Amino acid sequence: MAEYASSDDEERYQYYDDDDDDDDDVDVDGGDGGDEIVSLRSHGCRPAFKIITKESLMAAQEEDLRMVMDVLSLKEHVARTLLIHYRWDAEKLLEVLVEEGKEKLYADVGVTMMEHGKHIMSRFSSVVMCNICIEEVSANEMTTMDCGHFFCNTCWTEHFIVKINDGQSRRIRCMAHQCNAICDEEIVRNLVSARDLNLAVKFDRFLLESYIEDNRKIKWCPSVPHCGNAIRMDDPQFEVECSCGLQFCFSCSSEAHSPCSCQMWEMWAKKCQDESETVNWISVHTKPCPKCRKLVEKNGGCNLVYCICGQTFCWLCGGATGSDHTWTSIAGHSCGRFKDNEKVKVDRAKRETYLVRYLHYYNRYKAHKDSFKLESKLKETMQAKISNLEDKQCICKDFSWVTNGLSRLFRSRQIISYSYPFAYYMFGDLIENDLTKKEKEIKKNLFEDQQQQLEANIEKLSLYIEKPFDQFSNDEFMELRMKIITQSVVVDNLCSKLYECIENELLGSISGETHIIAPYKSKGVEKALELSVCRDMETSNTERNSG
Amino acid sequence: MQASRARLFKEYKEVQREKVADPDIQLACDDTNIFKWTALIKGPSETPYEGGVFQLAFAVPEQYPLQPPQVRFLTKIFHPNVHFKTGEICLDILKNAWSPAWTLQSVCRAIIALMAHPEPDSPLNCDSGNLLRSGDIRGFHSMARMYTRLAAMPKKG
Repeated sequence: MAEYASSDDEERYQYYDDDDDDDDDVDVDGGDGGDEIVSLRSHGCRPAFKIITKESLMAAQEEDLRMVMDVLSLKEHVARTLLIHYRWDAEKLLEVLVEEGKEKLYADVGVTMMEHGKHIMSRFSSVVMCNICIEEVSANEMTTMDCGHFFCNTCWTEHFIVKINDGQSRRIRCMAHQCNAICDEEIVRNLVSARDLNLAVKFDRFLLESYIEDNRKIKWCPSVPHCGNAIRMDDPQFEVECSCGLQFCFSCSSEAHSPCSCQMWEMWAKKCQDESETVNWISVHTKPCPKCRKLVEKNGGCNLVYCICGQTFCWLCGGATGSDHTWTSIAGHSCGRFKDNEKVKVDRAKRETYLVRYLHYYNRYKAHKDSFKLESKLKETMQAKISNLEDKQCICKDFSWVTNGLSRLFRSRQIISYSYPFAYYMFGDLIENDLTKKEKEIKKNLFEDQQQQLEANIEKLSLYIEKPFDQFSNDEFMELRMKIITQSVVVDNLCSKLYECIENELLGSISGETHIIAPYKSKGVEKALELSVCRDMETSNTERNSG
Repeated sequence: MQASRARLFKEYKEVQREKVADPDIQLACDDTNIFKWTALIKGPSETPYEGGVFQLAFAVPEQYPLQPPQVRFLTKIFHPNVHFKTGEICLDILKNAWSPAWTLQSVCRAIIALMAHPEPDSPLNCDSGNLLRSGDIRGFHSMARMYTRLAAMPKKG
C-alpha cells in the first residue's frame, strides 16, 4: 500500500558495493579482512562504539546467531529469521521465549518446525498440480516449504524474484493464502541462483546487511560517498566518529549537532534546506514513518498506510496505529479535530513574522560554519609551520600545544555554531516550555552571556593560532605558546560552562518531548574502534567451509 | 509474461467449467485482451445490495499472479471501502495481503464478502464510513439501498 519515496531502497546500496560483484564469494572478503583486524588493535579497552566493516560484518553477526542457535538448537537460517523479526535484539527474543513459550514465538515470526513436508509430497503420485500456475508438474519439480505448502519451482522462483526486487528479502513469505511462514533462505538461494546468479548474490547481501539495517544498536556511517562502515553502539552514547573521520549523531544519523537536540537539529536542517522542487515534492507527497522515519509515499487506498518496516500509521496525522483494518484497533484514533489545523495555521503565521529572527540566528550559525571550513585548512599550514620549526632547531621540541590548540578550536567552533540553532528553538515559540516570559528573558540573557564569552574567546584563540609563529623570535614564540595553551584551557572551560547552563537551566524547562543532547566531551567526539573479531572469524570460516 | 498468460488461460477454462457452480459470479474475459476482465456479481442477500448486479473491471498486471490484479467497481455503489467516484476498492488482499494462490474468481468472492461486511475504519467513502461509525445503521442502509436501486437494478417498465 505504500512505497518508498526513494526509488529502490535496496538498489541504493548497490553502488558502493560494486567491487564485491567481481568475487561473488563473500568468504574471500571475510578471510582477507580477518588478517587485517588481527593486526589492528589490542583487546584491552572496551570502547562504547565499534566499527563494523564489510569484512567484519559476518563475524559480528555470527555472535548473535550462534547464541540463539545454541539456546534453541536451531539451524542458522531459522535463527536468522527469528533475529530479524526481533530486530537483532537477542534479549528481547529470549524474553518472549521465556514468557510466551516456543510455539508462540515461532508462530509470531513465521517459523514452522514441522517435518511432515516430505510426507505430504510422498502421498501424491508422481504428477502434482501446482496451485499457482494450475499446471500439472512432476513431483520432483515441486518444492515444499517448512510450513507444508508446496508449489512448482518455477512459481517459487518467480515469487522470490519479485520479492527480492521489491526489497523484501528479509521476509519472503510462503505463497499460500494467509500463510505466515518465512521461506527457507537455503531454498530461496538455490532456486534464485539457478535463474539469476546476481540476484542470488544480492539476496545474500541483503540478509547479511539486515544485521545493520534492522538492528537498533547499529547504524550505517552516513558519510557521502559511503565509507562502507557501520557503527555498533555497545553502551548508550550519542555522538561518534567513524574511522573515515565523519562525526555523526548516533540517534538521528545526521552530522554531530550537540548542543542541539535531534528534534531541534531536524527542524533546523529542514528549515535551512533550499526549498527545491524535490523538497516540495517530498513534503507534499510523503510522510515519515513514525517507527523507522523512512519517507513513505501514499500510492492509493485508504488513510491507513503501511510502511515497508511493518509499521502502520494514519496518513492524516502521521501517528502510529494498529495494523488491522478493524473497528477496535483504530477506534479512538481521531486526528481530524480542528485544534490541529489551527495550530498549523498559527505556526505558519509565526514563521513569517519571525523570519527576521530566524535570519539572525542563521547568519551567525552560517558564519561559524564558514569559519570552521576555513580553519579546517589550517591543519596543513600548521603542519608546514611545525616542520619548518623542526628544521630550524627551535628551542621547543614539543608541538602538541599547537595541535591541541587547533583541535580545541575546531571543537569549540562546532559547538558555538550549533548553539545558535539551539537558541533559536529554545527561546522561540516553536518548542513549548513551562517558562513565563520573564523567566525566559532571564535565562536567555544568561545563555547569551555565556555564548558571547565563548564566542569572543574562540575568536581570540583563532587569532593566536593563525599567527606566523614559525617566523617569530624565541621570546615572542614562547609568549605565544603560553597564550595558546591558556586560551585553549579558557575555551574548554567556557564550553563546559555553556553545556552546564544548557543542561541545568534550559533543557529541564521544555515540556512535551524530551530533548536529549550529547554531553560535552573535552577530548572531542569518541572515536569508534574496529571490532576485534579474530577468533569468531576463524570459526565462521571453518563453519562455512565444512557446511 | 508467458506465465501470467498461461495462468489466465487456465483460469478462463476453470471459469467456463464453474459457471453453473457459482451463480453469483459471472466472470468474462475481454475478447481481444486476456489481461482485461469484467465480472458481474450479485449483491449478497440480507444486505442493502441485495437484488443488485454490480459490474467489476479487472486489470491484470504482467506479473500476475505474483502481483494482484487491479479491481474497481464500474457500477456505482455506496460502500465505505469503495471510492464513490472511481470505484477503487480498499481491500487488504488486493494490496499487501495478496497471495498468488488467489484467483480472479476468489477475488470476486472476497469482494462479495466485503460488501456484506464493510470496514468503516478505513473508509474510501467517508460519508458512508461516518454513518456506520456513528452507529446510524439505518441511514447507511437506506443510502446504500437507494444507490443499489438507482444503479444496480434493471429499470422497471
